[in-house]
Amino acid sequence: MNRSELLSRILITAGIFLAVGTPLLFRMRTPIIHAHMAENGGWSPEIIQAEVGKPLQLRLTSDDAMHGFAVGQMDMDAVDVEPGKVTDVTLTFDKPGIYTFFCTRWCGLNHWRMRGTIEVSGSSADSEPVPEPALSEVAVPLYVTLNLDIDAPHESPIIPSGQPSTIRGQQLAADLEISRFNNPDFYRANSPYQLFEELDSTDLSDSEKWDVVSYIWESNTTTEALANGKQLYAQNCAACHGENGAGDGVFADDLQAAGEASMQTMNGSMDMSMQTPVDFTDSKRMLGASPALLQGKILRGGMGTGMPMWGSIFTKEQIWGLIAYLYSFQFEYQGEIQ
Amino acid sequence: MSRIELTGNPFVKSALKNRWPQLAVFIVMLAGYLFAILAGLVGTQVGSHNFSIVFVWIAWWAILILVAVPFFGRGWCAVCPIPLPGEWLQRGAVLHPPRKKPKWFNLRWPRAFRNIWLQNISFLLLALFSSVLLTTPNITGIVLAGMLFAAIGLSTVFERRAFCRYLCPVGGFIGLYSQTAPVELRIKDKQVCATCEGKPCYNGSANGYGCPWDVFPGGLTKNTYCGLCMECIRTCPHDNIAVNLRPFSADLARPSTRMDEAFKAFIMLGSAMIYAGVLLGPWGALKDAAYNVGTSAWFIYAAVFLGVIFVIMPSLFALCISRFENLNAFKKRFATLSTSLIPLGLMFWVAFSLSFVLTNATYIFASLSDPLGFGWNLFGTANVTWQPMLTSILAPGQTLALVGGLIWSARTAQKAANEAKTSLIPVIVYCFITTLVMLWLLL
Amino acid sequence: MRSYLLLLLFVMAGLVVAFAPLPVQPIMPQERTFRIEARQFAYSPSEIEVNPGDRVTIQLVSTDVVHGLYIDGYGISVEADPGQSATLTFIANKSGSFRVRCNVTCGAMHPFMIGKFTVGTNDWFYRSMGLAMLGVVSIFPLSSFLTQRKKKEERSGAGD
Repeated sequence: MNRSELLSRILITAGIFLAVGTPLLFRMRTPIIHAHMAENGGWSPEIIQAEVGKPLQLRLTSDDAMHGFAVGQMDMDAVDVEPGKVTDVTLTFDKPGIYTFFCTRWCGLNHWRMRGTIEVSGSSADSEPVPEPALSEVAVPLYVTLNLDIDAPHESPIIPSGQPSTIRGQQLAADLEISRFNNPDFYRANSPYQLFEELDSTDLSDSEKWDVVSYIWESNTTTEALANGKQLYAQNCAACHGENGAGDGVFADDLQAAGEASMQTMNGSMDMSMQTPVDFTDSKRMLGASPALLQGKILRGGMGTGMPMWGSIFTKEQIWGLIAYLYSFQFEYQGEIQ
Repeated sequence: MSRIELTGNPFVKSALKNRWPQLAVFIVMLAGYLFAILAGLVGTQVGSHNFSIVFVWIAWWAILILVAVPFFGRGWCAVCPIPLPGEWLQRGAVLHPPRKKPKWFNLRWPRAFRNIWLQNISFLLLALFSSVLLTTPNITGIVLAGMLFAAIGLSTVFERRAFCRYLCPVGGFIGLYSQTAPVELRIKDKQVCATCEGKPCYNGSANGYGCPWDVFPGGLTKNTYCGLCMECIRTCPHDNIAVNLRPFSADLARPSTRMDEAFKAFIMLGSAMIYAGVLLGPWGALKDAAYNVGTSAWFIYAAVFLGVIFVIMPSLFALCISRFENLNAFKKRFATLSTSLIPLGLMFWVAFSLSFVLTNATYIFASLSDPLGFGWNLFGTANVTWQPMLTSILAPGQTLALVGGLIWSARTAQKAANEAKTSLIPVIVYCFITTLVMLWLLL
Repeated sequence: MRSYLLLLLFVMAGLVVAFAPLPVQPIMPQERTFRIEARQFAYSPSEIEVNPGDRVTIQLVSTDVVHGLYIDGYGISVEADPGQSATLTFIANKSGSFRVRCNVTCGAMHPFMIGKFTVGTNDWFYRSMGLAMLGVVSIFPLSSFLTQRKKKEERSGAGD
């Protein structure tokens, strides 16, 4: 073999090594978390390990459609996870525990199932060890404390003929003794109908009583909470429950079809199978539901229906705000809900 | 016919004869090809951000159908990396022929398959799965690897470039369309070949290898099967081979009478129209059918695809040109007249590709910086957003290509009909109607 | 000589067909609203038509993943998540037929997620049809022009 042949063979081999080796080498050295639509596998990997205080650097990419990433109950802005591109996120955890990360951009019927966990080990930044909280101090959802059966029907026997208005209610309430009702404990534990009943002692007409209910309902929240609730609703609920709360979201039909095909039912019966999303404009159902009941549904999810559980994702504050917004499909609130 | 001999220029001739410039191009192409395979298998599975999809189906395809084929005929074959590893193994050397030739089987390609039917079939196989192929990186990677290994395997069993000549799906239509190109490789003087001993252009010599395309250069009258590999220029002891510049579509003055080539013309014409409708049209159901391979909708789509190409279009053509005569004469006339569809088919593909390429060319910039979708940014262009380019010239460009192709085909039909002593009106009507359909699909 | 003139006539006719302004039927511009549902990988409705000058509002409703809607020729776009429909409002001041494309990667067939938006009539298509007809007929004077020129060359070549 002469020199030019040898040289050319060396050049060819070098070219081949570069072309083949580069992708393989970088594939091994680039741990990336891949996002897929839930039907295609969801997050992979879906369990991530981390340590308290040590920054966790994540590289995220999508293999199909647009996704997003956020960690539940953590103060962070969600980031978009784009197909074919890589997003870098750095997280630092103060407390050990199991955190849930989730997809923040709707990516199909089972978008909400696209969740994973970050297992954070180690001890808190405090030098003292965190004492085990007493059982009585562990946060128990209100509906449990109240012994509410959140799956039982909750229809209001009486519904208003028109939409109750906070402005009218406020004027009417000026002459009433309402301090018993106008506090978070009463508001959260009672449905609008129950408050309507309590107002029997006054000499207001039915529609006037509903107006007062609307006023008291709105006073138990803030404009900011309502605005946050509205945004939360648009991003997480509207796809199924409808942009106008009527249970006619883009996935409503698919849920019904999936339910009819689904084997997952509670109690082995068809009672709870994949119902169509709740219609928040349905006065009978909404006015008979207390905030505690709604909180229960949101925290726990639908148990065999398509309703997700949000307990690990949103803070209590965020959920109360969302619940306050849900009632705005029933009442004419005076604040401008941005 | 006026010809300008490009190899008359000494710089051009030495550049083509010298094996080093060619090798340099080969190394780049082979590295790119292997990188595309690996990118498809290992990189992001989002097609628009993977080197394999972007650089094969957008960049390479654009250069092939818009530049290489119309202007250089089989010019791509001259630099294609697919046959190279197999050929180097077969030859036992990368540059000049070695003293000791390796002992491979070197079988002759079986007689029954010495036509382009296998290429027609391989092209159709790819076409039927094209929606998946064009959008799925690992499928592209597997297909590219498959072609490479097929070429290597065939080179160890058969002589010369069996894959290229008889199997390659791309080569089938490049060969057909190369007849329209303004570049050719031909002998200079017939008498010189007549008295040449040994015919090293076909049998090889110490200076080079016998034609890998199984073509006898002395008998080359059309571009269809010459891959412009330049071996014959190196082996010819009489300096009797030249690369010429010539008028467009010179080869179509002598239309072919082969049925395999005739059907290739229909395959290309029909598939351009189907692609335009399915991929570029607004009908979602067609795209679903084309993409969901294995479903009953896809089987219907495949059946319709094959029906259009093998039954509807050829029989409409046959009907147009039919007259009372025996079958053999009819077959000959059918094949001869269908060569007039060649320029039209090329322009159909140009018009179709213009839309696809101009719409998605910006992916090329992003892919240069992040070929694998790993978050790299080699040249700072990784975040170039998708934006169709030159949309204002797209429609005029497509009209120019299609109307130009129609005129070109009509002229070709005129000459072919003259030769076949038949009327050209039916062929022109056929070309006109198919052009209208294509205009409607694209505009 | 005659075929040369005839050919010139065809070229002029071609230019007229391609570029001559057509009489525009004045139609009162209206407000038009379209609700377009986007799914993998099609729009529904996939073809919409308006008149030149209309004020068009497109409400994009994504029904499975995040989709976009980009209009060729206008270069404007909007994107919508399922549950958060988005609107795009513009004046249809450019006439012709334009492709509508998804501009948020939404899965494998995303590059082929295409709809059609037509403002007025698709003039360019009709002009192209006219050009095709002209082109086909023009090969007759073209061929006689070329043969005449060839004969001329042969004659002058023989004369040398």
